[in-house]
Parts: sequence; structure tokens; C-alpha cells
Amino acid sequence: MIKVEHLYKSFGNTPILQDISIEYLPGKCNMVIGASGSGKTVLLKTLIGLYEPDSGSIWYGTEDLASMTYDQKKKLRQRIGMLFQASALFDFATVIDNIMFPMDFCTSWSRRQKIERARFCLDRVNVRDSDHKYPNELSGGMQKRVGIARAIALNPEFLFCDEPNSGLDPYTSSLIDELISEITKEYNMTTVINTHDMNSIRTIGDNIGFICNGRLLWQGDSGGISSAECPELRKFLRIQ
Amino acid sequence: MWRATRRFSIFVCSEQGISMIKEFIESVGRYCLFLKMVFRKPEKWRIFWRQLLVESEKLILSSVLLVCVISLFIGGVLVIQIASNIENPFIDRMNVGYMLREILILEFCSTIVALILAGKMGSNISSEIGSMRITDQIDAMDMMGVNSAGFLVLPKIVSATLLSPLLMLLSLAFGLLGGWVVVSLTGIIGPNQYIEGIKYCYNGFYVIYSGFKMALFCFLISSIASFKGYYAKGGSLGVGTASTQAIVTISILILLFDLIVTQLMLY
Repeated sequence: MIKVEHLYKSFGNTPILQDISIEYLPGKCNMVIGASGSGKTVLLKTLIGLYEPDSGSIWYGTEDLASMTYDQKKKLRQRIGMLFQASALFDFATVIDNIMFPMDFCTSWSRRQKIERARFCLDRVNVRDSDHKYPNELSGGMQKRVGIARAIALNPEFLFCDEPNSGLDPYTSSLIDELISEITKEYNMTTVINTHDMNSIRTIGDNIGFICNGRLLWQGDSGGISSAECPELRKFLRIQ
Repeated sequence: MWRATRRFSIFVCSEQGISMIKEFIESVGRYCLFLKMVFRKPEKWRIFWRQLLVESEKLILSSVLLVCVISLFIGGVLVIQIASNIENPFIDRMNVGYMLREILILEFCSTIVALILAGKMGSNISSEIGSMRITDQIDAMDMMGVNSAGFLVLPKIVSATLLSPLLMLLSLAFGLLGGWVVVSLTGIIGPNQYIEGIKYCYNGFYVIYSGFKMALFCFLISSIASFKGYYAKGGSLGVGTASTQAIVTISILILLFDLIVTQLMLY
């Protein structure tokens, strides 16, 4: 479980996140929705410790992110998987090397064990016969799948996805959604997904938080979103 | 002079001057913190050695041809220029070889070659790391609990610093070879006189001094280019800006440190 309490973050004099308090539960697809520039990506990057919050606290189970040392943060990050908006696969490595990269650093497995695990992860996301291709030889959808495979390579407790459907056609997009949802349930992961894709919200969203101008204005499940009273959310949905 | 000093002091005290000084101090501080991150103990030594080989090939081995070709031609050109400037019958013609050797060792093989490498190596490093930054690849590494600065930058700095003196020696050898080729083809001085000049009054310390300068300059090239790339922002335009800034900064620092090191080691 991840618990966020009174989180504030600003860049210079511009406040980006203001008083965000939210809980993300394991085994559920927790979604953060909002218009572009509302602060979703900053929230995600603050949650995983890439940005330091100005104030507030972020709890991973019973551990407070702010009070962790460099080594403790490193250990925590090995329990986190992240799918970036543009997949962020390493250009210098092949598909299989990309997936083995976190294993190289965080495990003492033999090369054979690492290859086996990497192949298992690739199978899980339905990527086959692409082990020795470089990321620039893959389609956008394939890159996302490989990104997911890399994110689950170390069997993480927490999975963060930053706009997993951006730039994908509706069919591939729904396949990626299904995959994330399946993996979340299968491994009982705490999954946090940033999106503004209404289809994803309706189909896999278990717990949804709406952010507008850096403030969390509404929280609920996908059933309650259409009847929500929040005027900003209603406006956002009409725009969709 | 007084007016220039006054104008300079007015600029320094102005808002723009103060913000420039602040920015400079901030950059130096960030560079030091960056180096602290880079020089953390590698997570896995096996991966570090592997990366060191990769970077040595990419930064040093790939520069060999460029350095050899430039040194060969400059050596040849310098011989012609020196010979044409000492037509005096009281000056021994073997001085052409002697002067060429001194020019190559003292300045060309370290400083000028480093300035050339600043363009090649510097832009390569800063654009590579910069594009990784803007495509979130560095964030992805940090996310995995990997020290991205250590993984990406340390092997570059170590290979550039330790292996660059070899480039300097290679440059020296090819510079002298270029001179010899010109001497043999044109006959402006006898080849034996040229060889005698090269061997005349040889001071081994100058080679050490030049090797040290080259190592220092390549440390600056690799670390500053990495620093600029690591903190690049603003898309592909930002990577271009970082690359340009890196090369300008490196070139100025190479000249500045050339002066300081020469004063400290030779005087």
C-alpha cells in the first residue's frame, strides 16, 4: 500500500502539487486522471522519489520515503517497476538486455537464470522472437510491452505507469490495459496509472483520483465517476 | 584602462552581473555534486569493467584515426614553415627537427589535440547522455536503483583520462613521421639532419608534462560534456544547446588550465 499525506511540490514559485492526500491499495489499478499539465506526472515522479516533495509524506507500507537514506531508497526502488510514457527503453541495449538490465544490478543470478526470467517476462507480455532487436526496430505497442516486461522483471510490489496508452491505437491500447490489469491482480501489485484515456478509466480503473491544477478534487471508483458532483471533473469528462 | 575597469565593476554590481555570478557559482556547485555522484563505488565491478572497455573503444580507439591524420599533416606543414623561416646560414638546419619536436611535445600533441577531441568526444558524450535524459532513460535507471551517473559517466571519465596520454604519444609519433615524409619528399633539409634534430637535447620530463596535460584535458572533456548532457532539458533543442555549451566551456577551460599547468610545471 502507498499512502500520500498533504503532499506539496513546486518548481520555483509555481506550485504544481497542493495538499495531495491519497491511498493506493494493493491488487488494484489506482488511476490518476486529469488534463495535460494538471500535475499527474509530477505526482508520479514525486511518489517514486525522482522529485523531492516540498512538504508532506509518502509511505510505502510502514516506510516513510522522506526519512530514507540513499541506500534505503535504492533498495525500495528495486521493489518498484515503472513504465514510462515513451517506454524509456535503453537505445544501447537489445530487448533481452533491456529486461536483464535491472537483474544485472539487483540480483546475483547466473546469466542463464536471467535469460530465463527475461524470456518469461517477454512471454507474459506476448513479445516473441524479438530478443535481439533494438528498441528502434520495434513498434510503439511493442515498445510498451517490452517496457512492461522490464518493469515486472524483478517481480515488483509497486507498479507505476505514466500514460501507458499514449500514442497507441484503440486496439493496442486496450490490450495494454488488459495486460496491466491482469498483472496487477496476478501479482497483487499496487499499481498507479496516470492517464486521461476514458476507455482505460472505465475498463480497468478500480480507484480513481482526479487532479486539477495540482489539487486532488475527486476520488472514487469507475462506477461513480459519471455521477460525480465535482464541476471540474464534469467539465473534464465533457471535454473527453 | 580605468574606464574599462569602471565599466566592468558597474556590470558586476548590476542585477545582470550578480545573476551571472550566482549562476556560475551554482553551476560549479552542481558540477562538484555531480562528480560526487559519479565517483561513488560502482554497484557491480564486473559491469564497470565491461563498460570501461566499451567506452575505451567508443572514445579513444575511434579517435585514433582522426588524431593520426591531423598530426601527420600538421607535422609536415610545420616542417615547411620552420624551414622557410630559418634561412640564416648561421643556424644549423637540424634545428628544424628540434623545433618541430618541441612544438609537438609542448603544445600540439596535448593542447591542440585536446581542443580537437573536445569537438569530437565532447559532442558525442553530451548528445548521447542528453538524449538519454530527455527520453527518460536516465530516470528509468534511477528508478531501478542504479546510480545512473556512475554507470554512464564513470567509465567515460576513467577511459578518457587514463588512455588519452597514449593518443598524445601517437600524435607525437605521427607528427614527427609527417615531418620526415615532407623532408624526404622535398629535400628542404637532409633526412639525417632532421633525425639528428629530433634527438637533440631531448628532455623526457616534457613528455610527462604533455601526457599529464592531455590526461587533465580529457578529464575536463569527459566530465563537463557528461555534466552538460546529464542536466540537459527541453527536448532535442536542449540537447543541441547542452552540446554547444559543453564544447565552448571545455575549450575555454582547456586554454585556462594549459596556462596554469604550464606555469606550475615548467617555470
